[in-house]
Amino acid sequence: MTSTPQPNSRPVLFDWFFAIAVAAVAAAVVRILNFTPYEANQGAAQKIYYLHISAAMGAYIALGIVAVMSVVYLWLRDKRADLLAESAAEVGLLFTTVVLTTGPFWAKPIWGAWWTGDARQNLTLFLWFLVAAYLVLRGVVDDETMRGRYSAVLGILAALNIPFIHMSVYMFRTMHPMPILLKPSAPSLPSEMLITLLMAIAAFSLFCVALIRARYRIAVSAQHA
Amino acid sequence: MPDTFSYFIAAYITAGVLYAGYVVLLWWRSRR
Repeated sequence: MTSTPQPNSRPVLFDWFFAIAVAAVAAAVVRILNFTPYEANQGAAQKIYYLHISAAMGAYIALGIVAVMSVVYLWLRDKRADLLAESAAEVGLLFTTVVLTTGPFWAKPIWGAWWTGDARQNLTLFLWFLVAAYLVLRGVVDDETMRGRYSAVLGILAALNIPFIHMSVYMFRTMHPMPILLKPSAPSLPSEMLITLLMAIAAFSLFCVALIRARYRIAVSAQHA
Repeated sequence: MPDTFSYFIAAYITAGVLYAGYVVLLWWRSRR
């Protein structure tokens, strides 16, 4: 079965949903900067956490969508699933890039080195290369069906790294801080910081979905150009 | 408390440039 996406007359990017997402991000940043206390041992660098963790959550969401849509495409051969996977992969690469660039700005003053070769750092960099390879692959395969099949398999394999990245702090000797939220026990943050972190995660997750939505609209529009 | 403010600012500027750059890229693509 092959479905064809419905074309829009023109891709509308900056609609109400996008505006809400941007407003949520702005509100989260204002709370981080002005209404959240500094951590006593790390100073201002600790506030990089809010950006770094929320970008990681955005990457998890985007690459989770890649995996689910890739399975849907392999199962149903639905072109919409292929385009949504492509859109989510590109946004996932953006959020993974933010994770990889903000992390070292925290690591340098706290660990004394920009990059330590830590298991979670290396696995995240490996994920970045896999997602980049996914997008390069889509650019070099001309046949639409083959492109969809090859990239769906690579997309699923790339997303399979995410559980290993999350569990890497338990599986390997690592300097990386342990999970603060996604762990069996209660969150290990004072309530003011925890609220800020949850707000940042919600805002950047919404922003991630808004970007995927905008990118998907462009992809559908390009199909019918 | 250690002075790590410059690292904090650099991280936020880097992330802001990346996010805003991607939004501009989407806007540019939508107009082609």
